[in-house]
Amino acid sequence: MKHLAFKRGALILAVLMLSSILLSACSGSTKKEEGEVSPGDKKQEQVELRLGYYSSAQTDAKMQELVKKFQDSHPNIKVKTESAPYGQFFQKLDTQIAAGNAPDVWLSDGVLVPKYAERGALKDLTDLIGKDLKHDDYYGLDFNKDVNGKYWGVPQGIQIGVLYYNKDLFDAAKVAYPTTDWTWDDLKAAAEKLTLDTNGKYATDAAFDGKKVKQYGLTFFSITEGWMPVLKSFGGGVLDPTLQKSIINSPENKKALDWIVDGMNRHLLPTPADLKSFQSNMAPFPSKAAAMRIGIYARTMDANNAGLNYDVTLLPKGPDGKRFSPVIANSWVINKKAENQIGDAAWEWVKFWATTDEAQKEWASLGEAVPVKKSVANSDQFLNGKPANKKAFLDSFDFAGTLDVNAVWSEWVGKFNDSINRAFQGEIPVDQALSTADKDVQQVLDEFYKKK
Amino acid sequence: MNRYKLRKSVSYIIITISSLIMFVPFLSTVFNSLKNYAQYTAVPPKWIPNPVQWSNYSEVWKLGPFGQYTMNSAIVTVLSVIGALISCSMVAYAFARIEFPFRNSLFMVVLGTMMIPPVVLIIPQFVIFKNLSMLDTLTPLWLLEWLAQPFGIFLMRQAFLAIPKDYEESAKLDGCNPFQIYWRIFMPMCKPTFATLAVFTFMTKWNEILSPAIFLTSKENFTLPIGILSLGGQYNGSEQYVVAAAMLSLVPILLVFLFAEKYFVQGSNSAGIK
Repeated sequence: MKHLAFKRGALILAVLMLSSILLSACSGSTKKEEGEVSPGDKKQEQVELRLGYYSSAQTDAKMQELVKKFQDSHPNIKVKTESAPYGQFFQKLDTQIAAGNAPDVWLSDGVLVPKYAERGALKDLTDLIGKDLKHDDYYGLDFNKDVNGKYWGVPQGIQIGVLYYNKDLFDAAKVAYPTTDWTWDDLKAAAEKLTLDTNGKYATDAAFDGKKVKQYGLTFFSITEGWMPVLKSFGGGVLDPTLQKSIINSPENKKALDWIVDGMNRHLLPTPADLKSFQSNMAPFPSKAAAMRIGIYARTMDANNAGLNYDVTLLPKGPDGKRFSPVIANSWVINKKAENQIGDAAWEWVKFWATTDEAQKEWASLGEAVPVKKSVANSDQFLNGKPANKKAFLDSFDFAGTLDVNAVWSEWVGKFNDSINRAFQGEIPVDQALSTADKDVQQVLDEFYKKK
Repeated sequence: MNRYKLRKSVSYIIITISSLIMFVPFLSTVFNSLKNYAQYTAVPPKWIPNPVQWSNYSEVWKLGPFGQYTMNSAIVTVLSVIGALISCSMVAYAFARIEFPFRNSLFMVVLGTMMIPPVVLIIPQFVIFKNLSMLDTLTPLWLLEWLAQPFGIFLMRQAFLAIPKDYEESAKLDGCNPFQIYWRIFMPMCKPTFATLAVFTFMTKWNEILSPAIFLTSKENFTLPIGILSLGGQYNGSEQYVVAAAMLSLVPILLVFLFAEKYFVQGSNSAGIK
């Protein structure tokens, strides 16, 4: 008897829960249908736009300010912001996309745009950009162009690599500041004079102790601020123009890696293990433990916070005079499901961001990224302030490129680093690292592109 | 006498060394929270902050609504602890003492769910809470604890199994029904286990990152860990604020430990049997 009552209770409970789930599911979908109205009264209709972005406490305040300005100039659009810390934002985004609940427009890390585009989560913006944005007025629109010529995003702010140098450390070692004529070999020659051990001996001194380095000539970390610019200016690279085939095992890459490994063997550059003794991989330069760094624009914030006496110049040339500056164009992308008024509203936001001087200037004032609009980037407001030679960031656009970004970028970078770091630590020769990396990266590419 | 002294000093040395190993990282965190950015990244590291940057703490307070974050975390944590204690102990009581079909195999299923990593469950949970219109509210964060989580069930069941049957039988003779036995006999006798579960749930919920990050979207609903993480951006170096905020979030945990400590050392529960 007792059992029966228990079973009956459980059944009732289950039915109740199921029906409440079904009910709320239904109510959710009816809401959407109500939103679709005839195009006639489009102007008056209120639209709610879900805007997703990653932020820190400092950048969030500025973003909210800009959202308010956008709403003032677009009274029919109500923006609902959804922000999260950087790491958690993409974790959440993946969940939201899987559940069909992603924001209408969101800020994507530049290296992740193809990941979402090639998996069908993004709207093709080619026509909208062609219609509303004058191509030559903006930096970096092409960084979101895929191999078929389609555009998937509009840059929110651009990160571009230059050579940072600490003037105080150069002065102390009596070394002349870097020039735009430098090759990577010139850089290494200078790095030797700037690498210092704990006994105060420079690497040029016979008594130099490489096991106790206090100050490196050039700090070096992973892809953007490490091997990619060296590889590319030596004429090498990782993927062919289709971005589906590895070109890792090449004589140019071998030469570039030999250059890096030689620098690490002589302790002029920190190995990946050496970096572990710092607060973070980014810390050596701001903490004055490195005289030079390959750095993107955002690194000016750390350098300024630490009160360094520093400047920037173009990255060095390769042996054949080729230059390469790595770029990450963090971009606004639009959800493929955002159609009709919501799609229009999403594009209005992107247009507001890229075309309005006010939005561009306000965001640039944070000092986090190079503005997309050329007129703002070339204005005194952006170019004044530390570092003195900010122009170097803009000049670098002439030879800038992305990091061979495709749908499986994070995966292949992981595989590439696995092999190459072993060569950096001196565990395996460069040849072996290149052939293993070539095989592993190709496998990652095939797993995604061959199945498609 | 000498041997006794030697033994004693050796054990004190071991205790001192091991407590230093525990304490030094904590101390360095305290110091790091009082440095400016240049000192924070200095190489070789400088232990003692000079000048002491007390303003980090006030700055943290200015950078985000940390009062609100703390309040949200407190709501989630308190409701979770209550829910876990009630639901886990009831389910555990059933598994320990009530006879019903498939009891043991059901218990194995419960234990089996402990092996599923939380990341795997997050998408289905997200879909369910989306359909219940509970996204961006604190509800999903504590609701699950009211539905008896496996670890708590396991913990409480083991504690209940250790209680001799004699108690139950004498309670039955005095006319108690199963609920009264659970409420009047089992609950009071397992206080230390309840305290353990409470502290465990408290810590998990207070420090939880994944679920709040996935379920919450509005800043005013963020819990403390998400608030702390949002102090550091994609690029900017203000780690010292993150450390200061983490120190602030430690205070409630320390308080709970101070008050709950006596339950950990409380004696055995079998003293009542003669």
